[in-house]
Amino acid sequence: MFLDSIDKLSAWQKDCRKKSEAHKVKVQICLGPGCLAAGADLILKEFEKVFKKHKIKDVPLESIKKTGCHGFCSRGPLVVIEPKGIFYGKVKAADVAEIVEKTLINGEIVERLLYTDPDNNKTYTDWKEIPFYARQTRISLRNVGQIDPDNIEDYIARGGYAALAKVLKSMTSSQVIDEVTKSGLRGRGGAGFSTGKKWATAAKAEDTPHYVICNGDEGDPGAFMDRCIMEGDPHSVLEGMIICAFAVGSQQGFIYVREEYPLAVVNLQKAIEIAREHGLLGENIMGSGLSFDIKISRGGGAFVCGESSALMRSVAGEIGEPRAKYIRSVLKGLYDKPTVLNNVETFATIPVIMDKGAAWFSAIGTKRSTGTKAFSLAGKVRNTGLIEVPMGTSLREIIYDIGGGILDNRKFKAVQTGGPSGGCLPENKLDLPVDFDTLTENGSMMGSGGMIVMDDRTCMVDVARYFLNFLVEESCGKCVPCREGLFQLHKLCEKVCAGKAFEEDLKLMEDLSRVIVTASLCGLGQSGPNPFLSTIMYFREEYLAHIKDKKCPGGVCRDLISYVINDDCNGCMACLRVCPVNAISGSKKQKHVIDQVLCDRCGSCYAVCNFEAIDIV
Amino acid sequence: MVNLIINDKAVKAEKGEMLLAVIRRMGIDIPALCQHEAVEPTGNCRLCMVEITKKDWDGWKRCVTSCLYPVEEGLIVETHNPKLHDIRRTLFDLQLANCPNSEVIQKIAAEYGVYKTSFEVQPDGDNCIMCYACTRICEILGKSAISATQRGHNKVIAPPFGEEPPDCIGCLACAHICPTFHITWHDEGGVRVIWNKKFELLTCRQCGKKTITRDFAEYLVEKRNIPRDYFDTCDDCKRQETARKFGSVVIAAGEASL
Amino acid sequence: MALSVKHDLKKIQKVIALSPAAGESLIMILQDIQREFHYLPKESLAEVAGYLDIPLSKVYGAATFYKSLSLTPRGENIIRVCKGTACHIKGADLILEQLHSGLKIRPGETTPDMKYTVEVVNCVGACAMAPVMIVNDKYFGNVKCSRAMRIAEKG
Repeated sequence: MFLDSIDKLSAWQKDCRKKSEAHKVKVQICLGPGCLAAGADLILKEFEKVFKKHKIKDVPLESIKKTGCHGFCSRGPLVVIEPKGIFYGKVKAADVAEIVEKTLINGEIVERLLYTDPDNNKTYTDWKEIPFYARQTRISLRNVGQIDPDNIEDYIARGGYAALAKVLKSMTSSQVIDEVTKSGLRGRGGAGFSTGKKWATAAKAEDTPHYVICNGDEGDPGAFMDRCIMEGDPHSVLEGMIICAFAVGSQQGFIYVREEYPLAVVNLQKAIEIAREHGLLGENIMGSGLSFDIKISRGGGAFVCGESSALMRSVAGEIGEPRAKYIRSVLKGLYDKPTVLNNVETFATIPVIMDKGAAWFSAIGTKRSTGTKAFSLAGKVRNTGLIEVPMGTSLREIIYDIGGGILDNRKFKAVQTGGPSGGCLPENKLDLPVDFDTLTENGSMMGSGGMIVMDDRTCMVDVARYFLNFLVEESCGKCVPCREGLFQLHKLCEKVCAGKAFEEDLKLMEDLSRVIVTASLCGLGQSGPNPFLSTIMYFREEYLAHIKDKKCPGGVCRDLISYVINDDCNGCMACLRVCPVNAISGSKKQKHVIDQVLCDRCGSCYAVCNFEAIDIV
Repeated sequence: MVNLIINDKAVKAEKGEMLLAVIRRMGIDIPALCQHEAVEPTGNCRLCMVEITKKDWDGWKRCVTSCLYPVEEGLIVETHNPKLHDIRRTLFDLQLANCPNSEVIQKIAAEYGVYKTSFEVQPDGDNCIMCYACTRICEILGKSAISATQRGHNKVIAPPFGEEPPDCIGCLACAHICPTFHITWHDEGGVRVIWNKKFELLTCRQCGKKTITRDFAEYLVEKRNIPRDYFDTCDDCKRQETARKFGSVVIAAGEASL
Repeated sequence: MALSVKHDLKKIQKVIALSPAAGESLIMILQDIQREFHYLPKESLAEVAGYLDIPLSKVYGAATFYKSLSLTPRGENIIRVCKGTACHIKGADLILEQLHSGLKIRPGETTPDMKYTVEVVNCVGACAMAPVMIVNDKYFGNVKCSRAMRIAEKG
């Protein structure tokens, strides 16, 4: 339906709902990044094959829904059968025929594919009751995993574009900005600047034209929320951007997406074209007089392009080198024109705020960090995946109640938030409420929402080295403190890992870090030493163990450990086959031996041994 | 005019001026390696950082690069204090590790008490401090024959593919603006070599001395509307010619007054 | 080993012409060329500079700045190993060790027969299935190092 007037939307919404309710049963196949990596594409093919072969009463081929990330990645591939919400995990292609026969034809449950809580052996049928989901509040992720991103009717049926219609019909641009400001929404990209204030500044800027940019660069390693939103619910991002365009008086928007997210590019492009066909983008949107269009700008793979001035240069086709921002980009951004830059999650949240009101939104979360925040939970935690919780939820609730605790029942050591600009928080910080200010006060930061859990087999010096290495590779190289400073800080960290550092080196590292923080040109350098600063603050004893005792307590740093085979070895030869330097000898069913001279200490043997027959000493 | 306080002294500045210009005008010595009046500031070297505050900032201060910070009414600026000294000292310490053989860096670093770097010396360290003065001047000339390539610590100023830059006209602007004399060239037998590219040098018709490259002369004729015959003679000969003409005018005038 | 293949200029021009001749197209044009040829043939950069009317040095600067762009020919099969944080702590290095011992190449290198290129990517956003490797755009999650070579070869 082409919407040449705002009023037509509600009729269309009715149509879409009717269509969606015509077939009660829906087979939702998650095609999020996690499930795809577990082979979800094969499951989809198998379902299509079986559906084509057998006609199932009341369940036509269209009932198969390809959705974005459903969230519970570690159970992937996921198949959810609505309306009952039957949640099947770790589905194999061979299970498909059984699911069709038992569940779709006979209305029975395939018990073995359900989720069983390992702590109390309770089995769940409906996904909404599984603790992983039950403790979440989904706002920005409201449709992700629930709709087919290619089908705008799915989005419309769930209330999509109704917020835009409401804004265009009954609000002025300053009312929109007031509402966003009152909601207390802070930018979900990392720094947490007030979205309403940003929009207000841009709206007032005299210079024209005004631009709206959506930052979908998500360069933080360990974060994939924005990816899932762009792939799984692209229209929510477009709707948020159109509302912003209305508020700040913009006619041209850009979405900057990393090249590493090809599906996000495809889905957004499709969504833009479909939105245009329906009169939701382009000239005279829904007959309201508002004209706004969106172009996709594919990033070339540079973490520094998450920094606003670098991103804007990249959008303009230049190298992504930041500029000193003594005049803010909201006033002088893309092509030196006023520019609103928000990230994917922020834009996806806007329609809900417009729909339900600022008061509803600000009642969720904490006073200074309102609403919810999406996180990607990964690392050594039992339940990994995409989650969204109210601000102020404690780290413990996220890691233990939603995440199900530490993998293999090992001991928790740290949780890393905020990506390379963030930090690692130790066990005694687990009860901290997660919000912008608390994380910053404790030496980490919210960042875009990556949350990596680490256990006792993680070396915190190695983690600092990892992030510093990342930053050295990603520094644009323009200013001295970042280019040379982080390079030297990384060198010093390597020295610690190699057991060749002295205590004075820690002092040098701390002094250097202070200068990098103060003197760097952009956010990358200014926050660059954080991985070191937060680990030295909470895990100093681990640094000292490397320096004084020449020991790596996590058993990671190669120069300070060796692998030894103990008497539990039954001679299965798994380690022997995997050793990249052929340092392991022994014959079948006989205890193997590692040649310590040849051994590279990579840990491959340790990783493949199923009998705990290898010790790290 | 804008009123501000720099090192406890009240000063006036033009709106739009950068802090560094005002500081320099006051005769205050503050290091800056990437700043050059011929090109727009970029803030790469970070040495010109100063600490700023305002009366209503409740004692909050921040460090900014003075080359890029426009003057503001009521700004209170400190150009030298222990914190800034520490920053500059560390920056020189880092530069010294990166450019161990640069005499320019050695000399200024010594002024900050850095004689030997605390960090790991880069064995392949050259004299380039990545100030972008060369690429900026080349861009102003409309050539952009060289650019910053690669990134991070591997960043290097180079022509495309590290080969003879097709757009280079051998004008030497990059070499002359380079604060650490990293960019080198040589003229020999009527040929100039810079960035591995060879250029023919023009010859002064009067004294036979070599002048500028033919490519540069062509550029000036085309882009700056300079008459072609201007390049027939060298600057020295042109000066002598002017002096001769001027002399004859003076003599003629003197004779007339008699 | 860099092969000096002369590419059909017409084909390069055709790819370039897909985008409007505006400066903001630069990075996307380079990506499109790379998609077509698996890398950026040298002669393509001058073509891009001419099409967009910008200096060659700017095109070269961008081509060397962005990590997803490569000026050296890459193999038929691109094996990417994710080194995001979750993958790092779950043993991404072990995958690289196996690929090195099997293919005798380190990240960024291509086998002499031009069959495989191994690359490290920062994070592909599949952290929940760490460690992850990608063979020609197909994702593999929870990769055990003992399976790395098999995945690389069979895709």
